[in-house]
Amino acid sequence: MLYELITNNIHNNNIALYKCYNANKVFYRKAAFSHWGNKVIENEKKGYDWFYENSETLIEIGLRKKYFYELDIPQFKGKKFPTESIISGNEKTIEMIIDYYKDRWSTKDVFAIHGDLALCNFVIDDKNIKLVDWEHFHYSDKEYFGYDIINMLFILIYHESKRTFRLNKRNSDFLKKCYMQLIEGVDSSNKLLEKPFQNAKDYLLKFAYRFVINTNVNNKFVLSGSPLSVLEHFDSIVTK
Amino acid sequence: MTLQDNFINLSSAAGLGLIDFDEDDIAVDYGCMFFDSLVYASKLCKKTFGINPSYERLKTLQKRLVEEEVKNCDLVNANCSELLFEEKVDCVIINCFLEQLLIEIKHNKTIYFNSKIRSKKEDNNPEKIRIRFLQTVYKGLRPGGTLYLSYANKLRFNVFLLLSKFEIMSFFSSFSLKNALSFFLLIKTIYLFFYYLLSRKGLGKLLKANGFTDIEKHAVFPDHKYPLKIIPLSKLGECSFEPVQYQYREGSLRRISAGIKRRVDMLIFNKFKLFELSPSFIITAKKAS
Repeated sequence: MLYELITNNIHNNNIALYKCYNANKVFYRKAAFSHWGNKVIENEKKGYDWFYENSETLIEIGLRKKYFYELDIPQFKGKKFPTESIISGNEKTIEMIIDYYKDRWSTKDVFAIHGDLALCNFVIDDKNIKLVDWEHFHYSDKEYFGYDIINMLFILIYHESKRTFRLNKRNSDFLKKCYMQLIEGVDSSNKLLEKPFQNAKDYLLKFAYRFVINTNVNNKFVLSGSPLSVLEHFDSIVTK
Repeated sequence: MTLQDNFINLSSAAGLGLIDFDEDDIAVDYGCMFFDSLVYASKLCKKTFGINPSYERLKTLQKRLVEEEVKNCDLVNANCSELLFEEKVDCVIINCFLEQLLIEIKHNKTIYFNSKIRSKKEDNNPEKIRIRFLQTVYKGLRPGGTLYLSYANKLRFNVFLLLSKFEIMSFFSSFSLKNALSFFLLIKTIYLFFYYLLSRKGLGKLLKANGFTDIEKHAVFPDHKYPLKIIPLSKLGECSFEPVQYQYREGSLRRISAGIKRRVDMLIFNKFKLFELSPSFIITAKKAS
């Protein structure tokens, strides 16, 4: 078997990600290099289990508990998205993801948060949506329904506006449309309503320990590292 | 004490992820150049051995092993070509050790070789020493056992220019026979590095000649001491090269230099696929079953 090391110790997670080339199949392996890494891998496995519990197809995510843990993840077939994906050109996919989120997340008894939902963590084919990278998975209160989508939208804005945080009218309108799509039918007790971006940042800062991160939260998530004025600006765009 | 405070991160040993260690494995680290590698292997294998001819180095390593509560590792103060195992070892780790041999030869230091070898002039030939060393490694491995070998690419021309500049300057500043000799020694060293470690097939041939099979060469970025990206050269078509983020400290100049390095890497490796210029390499090979 041949291995390609794709990333190592990214954001100090003490984990290496390999792509493994076997004779007849290709898969990914996450390997821990410390006890902290073990904890992250165990958490990621819980996330996959939660997500694929009611999946249409059976997906095997193999966890090996050696001294350092290893997690084998299949290579999913479908369209992948680059890390620096933007809004423009991905509008239909974003709408589809919001629908999917509403459909899947709201029906679960125990509310879960992916923690790092971004377009690059989706693999989409005609029939299925697969979601990867569950390192920051945790359970939360249903009042935070929508957190993952708000986080994803903010990452898209971040890349779209090339860190200047200025959007054109078309993208601003689309952002508002996405927000309306997300909150339609959502309970009034939802804690992200009215100021979705600011409230999502508050959640991130307040419950940073739930995200299983081993670095400053601002280094990892663009949402928490962004100034209040920027978040206020985007809140006003989507809620006005 | 939280979990964060209570762990040692061995991420610098990520290169060893290319080997599938088994809980019953016996591994040997020749040279023990990277302590993290030996600690990592010890945590995953049944038994490990660290071999180094320098007693001082082993003493430092012993301290680290105690700190890490590694109890299944024996440190052996021995010559590199001494046959200590007979078809018992599942994995041999050699980090930088071949280079170390060459450096020792260049400076005519002899700590790596016992007096018997030293006295025989014909046996002091670098090629023979390395062949003998690889033969020892081969004999120690059980059939099907794995060899893991990492080394820096000395062709990186910043190293080359630095060396050349230094040597040429000393050559021209005041001509003397000693300087002239050191210049020729440098050329000889570069030739040796090129022949054994750099040439596309040189080391592979050497390994093949010693009976190894399934020889796979990997390009390593930014270096083999702390790999962030490893690409198997036989899978270049399927791998995507994204330059690693070079670590930089505060300061705009350092940031600019890291940015330039990133762009140059994009050009060399992404566009022209010149992976023979990678900063470091890892070779994995098997002993035929």
